[in-house]
Amino acid sequence: MHLTSFLERTLQRRSFLRVAGATAASSALVLAGCGSDDNPKPTNTTASLTFSSNDNGLLNFAYLLEQIEATFYQKVVDAFPSDFTAEDKAAFIDLRDHEVIHREFLRFALGGNAYDLSLPGAIIFNFSSFTLTTRAGVYAAARTLEDIGVAAYNGAVKRISDAGYLALLSKLSSVEARHAAFVREQAQPGSFAGADVIGTTDGLDIVKTPMEVAALLAPIVPLTLVTDGLTNLS
Amino acid sequence: MDFLHLLARLATLDTDNTALTQAPRRAALSRLGQAGTAILPALLTSLATPAEAGKKDVRTRLDALKLILKLENLQNVFYSRALGLLPGGPANPTAFFGTTAIKAAIQTMQSHQAQHAALYGQLVTNAGSTLDAMPNYDFTGSRNGAQASVYPDVYTNLDTFLKIAQLLEDASVQTYKGQAAFLQSDNYLLETTVRAHSTEARHAAQIRTMRRQRGATVKSWVSATDTAIVPTGSSLNVVYTTETNISQYVTLNGAVTRVPFDSTLPINVGTPALSASALLAKVAEAFDEPIEAVTAESVLQVFTY
Repeated sequence: MHLTSFLERTLQRRSFLRVAGATAASSALVLAGCGSDDNPKPTNTTASLTFSSNDNGLLNFAYLLEQIEATFYQKVVDAFPSDFTAEDKAAFIDLRDHEVIHREFLRFALGGNAYDLSLPGAIIFNFSSFTLTTRAGVYAAARTLEDIGVAAYNGAVKRISDAGYLALLSKLSSVEARHAAFVREQAQPGSFAGADVIGTTDGLDIVKTPMEVAALLAPIVPLTLVTDGLTNLS
Repeated sequence: MDFLHLLARLATLDTDNTALTQAPRRAALSRLGQAGTAILPALLTSLATPAEAGKKDVRTRLDALKLILKLENLQNVFYSRALGLLPGGPANPTAFFGTTAIKAAIQTMQSHQAQHAALYGQLVTNAGSTLDAMPNYDFTGSRNGAQASVYPDVYTNLDTFLKIAQLLEDASVQTYKGQAAFLQSDNYLLETTVRAHSTEARHAAQIRTMRRQRGATVKSWVSATDTAIVPTGSSLNVVYTTETNISQYVTLNGAVTRVPFDSTLPINVGTPALSASALLAKVAEAFDEPIEAVTAESVLQVFTY
């Protein structure tokens, strides 16, 4: 079980920190203090990931989302469903490439503040709630992930304080919305902007707080995502 | 150090791209007082013309709301005519759309545009302003015969209609994106605007998907591989010239830094690996770009008189 090995590695790290005379929490503070940025990086404890209540926390949250999406599309590309058409395959290679580009862009933007620099290893995401062996299952999974992405970005922007980051995240968010419309249409024709995502009286797209997004990601991420700080931003 | 980074950034910018030059120019102007006079001439020659620089960034929240309203009104009328809800469209809308799926998609989009127009109209009046009079619309792009038509068969050829729909939806995404910065001080206006913005992006993708299903070479996201839908030389090309951008900038340790998509960033993960140009085309696809208000107005003007 991936989660177990992850926890084991984390526990080993905790043991080391105890020997060194520090707790995981205080160690994180020390690490944040070494950075040249005013914003401390999110702190991770044994089985949770706490996002700091600032722009770095939001960028890390977006980074995690893009990691999930990139990993998902890579998994599909590595083993296409047998009923995928050539057009489906080309589209999913595009989707994989876009999400890898988003992920690496955010990792670069975060620099020394990327949350996973302090993790003992990469998070192993769990996509077992999806059916990835059929075209219908894959498009339904992509629809779920892309709609979460759109809702998350729409919820993040008012919480961002830096105008530059606002502009950059909005460049990503509309591409996610394009992805969402495309995969929704393949999953169910006519649903590109269905009433489950677009308000029927105001025409406004879906929005979710970081806490709501974290709840939706819970089956996929083997860590408790602590997003109170992000959610309380305004 | 900041100033050296600024100069380095200015040197790498495409000065034809006003969206990109806007921010560094402002930064440069705000730093002029700190710069040694010896380097001023060199710095000034790298900036856009003073006349252009002088009209930037004086927009209010109300200006932003009014521009969005103009765009939504235009799209609402564009779709409403096609659907026969307003005069001036096809003689037989149902026959024009050919399939119920396409007609239903356009109905969905029209209803959203009408809702956005009502919402932004309300926001403008809530801000204490009166609504501007609606212009006249001519979706052939001839401005009621004042200039040559760009799309003479807008309401007799579905493929032409869908090209204009794509152009307007893509431009709409860009316009919302450009105006969001002016609404950042108001959480409600900002969140409303980014949500309307992603609705527009869904529309744009769907129009593109429908065009592809009808045989056009076009992706659901803006791509360099899309067949052009704007005639060469038309001012409407501004919608797509910005979308080839592969230069994004972030601030790292206080220094404005260009994201190295074209060198060290590990993004070429496919098997087989992509060529450098194909990879950068994907980078351009992965970012939608904003347009400034003046650019959005120039697009609106083609279809109004």
